[in-house]
Amino acid sequence: MFEELSQHILDIAMNSLSADATKIEISVVESRRHDRLVLRVRDDGRGMDADTLRRILATSASTKRSRRKAIGLGLAFLRQTSEMCGGRFAVRSATGRGTSVTASMRLSHIDRPPLGDLNATILALCAAEKKTAVQLNYRSDEEKLRFDSRELATKGAVHV
Amino acid sequence: MNLEQLKKLKEKAQKQIALREGGKKYRVVVGMGTSGVAAGAREVMTTMLDEIEKQSLGSVEVCVTGEIGMVDAEPMVRVEETGGEKTVYGKVDVEGARKIVTEHLQKGKKVQKLAVGQAKEKE
Repeated sequence: MFEELSQHILDIAMNSLSADATKIEISVVESRRHDRLVLRVRDDGRGMDADTLRRILATSASTKRSRRKAIGLGLAFLRQTSEMCGGRFAVRSATGRGTSVTASMRLSHIDRPPLGDLNATILALCAAEKKTAVQLNYRSDEEKLRFDSRELATKGAVHV
Repeated sequence: MNLEQLKKLKEKAQKQIALREGGKKYRVVVGMGTSGVAAGAREVMTTMLDEIEKQSLGSVEVCVTGEIGMVDAEPMVRVEETGGEKTVYGKVDVEGARKIVTEHLQKGKKVQKLAVGQAKEKE
């Protein structure tokens, strides 16, 4: 199991890369006022049909045929974490229309893992697939922060 | 997360993008499947990126792969020399990640202690 929610995010977003996403939008909402923490990873990858979606939500299923040893526990882990912490878990997807994974939990729940090193997750994702745009939207009661790897890429090009 | 952290993230990402240009001598592949992440592959990867940036190793490219099927040896790192040998390292921790950068990527010396196997075939 993962110790940090940001590890869950990395794990889910790795699926987006496997689905040839060109854009991954990660959003994290942390609200003390509503006692809620919501994570969402949305991509524009190849998505899944209804059957596949049903199958992957069952524990221990993977669509990755190339690796016979793939276990397919990533989504199940996140589902467990969110449901254990008084939240909900949902996956929305359609063939050719990307996938969106949302997990919420009670911010003050005693079992809620810490968000952890979100920066490490984003940096690892940026390095993982250079062509994929990685976006992070973070919101709390006080703050609204945004990171977009494409903005950096264009600035970087000026130096080259 | 706060504004300070966001600034740091942007700076770091910017530096890493700058290092992507130019010819590469080594390709480093980190196993970032579920088991890899759970075993600490993310920290291994960010440490390597950090160390590569600190030592300005522009000749190294870092990327990731999913599950390799050797779950007990995670976190795993594969170092591929362009047109040459591939070395697979297993049970790499932060310390090991630093060692791979300074020894293998910088000086060209393999870290035998961490190696789990070698493919003799060229790609």
